[in-house]
This record gives sequence, C-alpha cells and structure tokens, in this order.
Amino acid sequence: MQTSTGTLSKRRRIFWLVPLIALALPLLTNPYTQFIANAMLIYTLVTLGFSVVIGNLGQLAFANTAFFGIGAYASAIASTNLGLPWLATVPLAGLAGAFGGFLASAAALRGIRLYYLAIVTMAFGELMRWFYTHTGVLTGGTDGLPVSRERDFGLALTSDTVQFYVFLIITCLLVAGTVNLLRSRIGRAIIAVRENEIATASLGIPTSQIIVTAFMWSGFIVGIAGAMFALHTGRVFPESFGLTQLIVNFAMVLVGGLGSVAGAVLGAVALTALPEYVRAFPGMEEIFFGVIVMVVLLVMPKGLASLLARVSPIFQQRYHRD
Amino acid sequence: MHDVLLKITDLHVSYGKKAILRGASFDVRNGECLTLLGANGSGKSTSMNAICGFVKPVSGSISLNGTELAGKGPHTIFKQGVAQVSQARDLFPDLSVEDNLRLGAMQRGKGKAAQVLADIYDRFPRLAERRRQATRTLSGGEQQMVAIGRALMSSPLILLLDEPSGGLSPQFCEEIATIMDQLKSEGVTMLMVEQNLNLAFRAADRFIVLRDGQVVDGGDVAAMAGDHDAIVRNIYL
Repeated sequence: MQTSTGTLSKRRRIFWLVPLIALALPLLTNPYTQFIANAMLIYTLVTLGFSVVIGNLGQLAFANTAFFGIGAYASAIASTNLGLPWLATVPLAGLAGAFGGFLASAAALRGIRLYYLAIVTMAFGELMRWFYTHTGVLTGGTDGLPVSRERDFGLALTSDTVQFYVFLIITCLLVAGTVNLLRSRIGRAIIAVRENEIATASLGIPTSQIIVTAFMWSGFIVGIAGAMFALHTGRVFPESFGLTQLIVNFAMVLVGGLGSVAGAVLGAVALTALPEYVRAFPGMEEIFFGVIVMVVLLVMPKGLASLLARVSPIFQQRYHRD
Repeated sequence: MHDVLLKITDLHVSYGKKAILRGASFDVRNGECLTLLGANGSGKSTSMNAICGFVKPVSGSISLNGTELAGKGPHTIFKQGVAQVSQARDLFPDLSVEDNLRLGAMQRGKGKAAQVLADIYDRFPRLAERRRQATRTLSGGEQQMVAIGRALMSSPLILLLDEPSGGLSPQFCEEIATIMDQLKSEGVTMLMVEQNLNLAFRAADRFIVLRDGQVVDGGDVAAMAGDHDAIVRNIYL
C-alpha cells in the first residue's frame, strides 16, 4: 500500500467530510447557483470517467462525449418512450454508457494507440451525434427529447434542491467506487498497463481485459452523468454532445490533474463555476475559460490536485500521473 | 515430475529476415542453474524472449514439463510458471515497491499473495523498509531486487534472469550473487544470461555457449575447476 493505515483513514474521513459539508449547500444558494452546483456534480462524474481512461489507463481516447450522450439519450428514451421514472433510467444509462465503453475499447484492443486512437474515438463521438440527429423517431432529432420530471419514487425531481441531494448521493457512490477500483488489484493493473503494457502482460495479467474494464467503468459513470444531465436540463439535444463539450471535459481533466480523483472533482468544480462570473459579458466566457486553463497549466502543470498534495501528503495519490 | 524441466529443441527465431537463433537446443533440469554464455548477438536474450513469448519462434519446440509453450502469449507462459527478470527490469516506476511486487501475484488469491509478500520481505529486508517508496526513487541494485522479488511473487517453476548484474556496482553485484546463492540453496530452477563470468560461474551448475544462434559448447561448471580461460576463448575468439 502506498499509504499507511492512519493516512488512509484520514483520507477516508476527508473524503466523506466534503459531501457532508455539501449537504448544507442548498441553504446558501439561490435557484441560479443551485443549478450551477448541480452541474458541478454532473461534470465531476464526466471528468472522473474521462480521467480513468486517459489518466489512469493512459489511453488517449476521446470517446467521453459519446458515453455522455449515450447515457443521456438512454435515460431520455427510457423516460419518454418507455415511461420509466427517471431514477429507474439511471442504471440503464450506466449500462448503456458501459456498452459504449466496450465498443470504444475495441479500437484500443486492435492495437490502435496515441493520436490514431484519439481520432478514432473522436469519430465515434461524432458518429453518435449524427445518429441522434438522424434517428428522429427514437431520439427526437434536432428537436431533442424531453425527460419526465414527474414525481419519482416520492421525490419531487422538478426541484433543483432535491436534484442536488440525489446527484450528491450518486456522485459520492461513484467517486467512492472509482477510488476503490483504483486501489484494488484491477486498479493496480490499470496503472501497470499505462506504465508498460508489455511488461504487464509478461506478469500474466490479461491486459485486454484490463483495458476493456477501464473503458467500461469510464462509460458506466459518464453514462450515469448523462442521465443526470438529461434530468438537469429537462431535454437532451445532439448539440450538447459535440466537440465543444469534449474540449471542456478534457480541460477539466487537465486542470484538475491527470489521473487524480481529487483533481477530477476540483477541475469540474473550477471550470463549471469560474466561467459563470463572466456570463454577463457575451463572448467573454470562452476567452475567460481559455485563460483559466492556460494560467492553471502554466503555474501548476500537474493540475489543481498538485496543490492539495503540497498542502498535505494525505492527498498524494499513487495512481496520479505526473 | 520430469528431471528435465525446460526443453528447447531446434529453435529458430528471426527478426524480419535476420535469423538470430538457428536450431538451438538445450535443456534445463529441475533445481539447477544453467547459464547461457556467448558474445553479443549470439542469441542469448532472444532465447530468453522466445521462452517468455515476447518473440514467436519460426520453428522448433519449447517444452515446460511436457507442455508446449512455443507460440503462446507472454501472459499464458507466465501462468505456466515461467517468470523473467529482463535486462531492462521492466518495473513500473511510478508505482510503489509493494505495488510492483503485488503485480507479480495477480494470479493468486489475496491470502496467498500476502503470505508470499511477507516471504519476499523476509528475503529482501531493504524492500520492506522502502515498500511505500516509488520504485523510480530506488538505486539500480534495489530496483533489481524488486524485479527479482516480483518474479518470485508468482512462485515460478523456472526463473529467467537476463543479465542480473548488468549496470550494477561491484557491491550490488555481490548482493545479487548472494541472492542467487540463496535461491539455489532453496532449489529454485534458474536459466541465466550473464556477461559477468565470475557471477555466472559462481551461480551456475552448468553452462552452454551460444554462437551465431547455435549451441557450440557446454558442460558442468564444477568440472572446469576454475579454469575459465578455455570458455572465454570459445566465446569471444
């Protein structure tokens, strides 16, 4: 183990302290800031899933928006066409995202790497966007597909505050699941594949299975984030899952710190919140976003997670990519 | 149990059109240490890589306890009981010493892996002290200990060591030699490639000499009675 038992339990306490403090957040927010806080939780999962593949597994795969869209549409289709309550669509969205991850991993298993893998997986995302646009019967085409916010197992999901608590629980469970996965034997093998795939295979580790597992886990959590996004916006459109979304997600991973769970949270929170400060100035949002990314990466090339590691060794992570 | 553990028969390996091994045949018996000697390019490391499945033989047989390994993938061969400590050591530099060691026992249950890990720490106390350190921060000799320890985590039937003393200081060479003495006394079967002839003859029971991809000489080390000059001439002249 990288950390002593004492450090580990400290880290666990801090891990659960953050959502405990967040429970009080709705007391401090107005409807607008609550909406942004909900988006932060969604993007935390999107960033985390992305980071597992590019940071921990070390594969330059850009299928993240595909998983996000597949999850969002799976939730919307199950809600609108099958009449399922939103909560029941969440596991379906996760499974659909995991299937997307399985499909995306096929390129990596064929030995496609680096820029070639990047372009193939990016094309996968664009292909999915074309699919949403041109299969109107199923997806509503460019008009998008609504998601029912009716009372859901007794929860009034029309309320952003209720959404926040539901999102917080889901996010905590998936972040904890990812931390446990990365600390497990499988997690160790995922990092080993990143470091040296041939050497990993020579230790009897089935690298193909490890690659598929990482992609599917990434697809699962980003797919669930897609379902949360569908509920959050109330309607899903193909344009939400394009290259701009991909660039924003990628920036969140880099700003947070590649391969760091804490970094994924920090990157998502920072890059969801900060651009909101210039929303009143049309056209400035993108410039401000770009400047934030440049400044953070110039000052802290290892991302915001490196700040935490400087504050306390508790935050040093063995699976963090330098 | 066969007396011969690993049997290489008429092995041919090529890189592209260039033939490296041209019908090499030798065997390794249970519990012995066999060392492969030869000049650069004679096919020593290629033999190791073919046994581990990193390169596919053009023809010939590699049999472990009667099971054919030729053409199988590295992870299948590892599961059969062949573990290699390669020349490059192939460690995972950003992972801790313990993580590196545990990766060698991925095929084992948690309890068994913990037991073997404790054994490895008994064998290499220095690694126990540095268990949480990133492997890249270790000295060359310590990294070699991690590489050997990781290979032993799987309790292999045969341990392949490709230049275990390569790039190490004389002090660490001595440490590696002591480790090998210990492994020998425990009956670990080893196949070794080593340019340091002092270490090679100290550890090995038998030797074979490769030249141009073929076995041209071999014998018992004890029978040489310390007269290594003839072998050196055979290898290099």
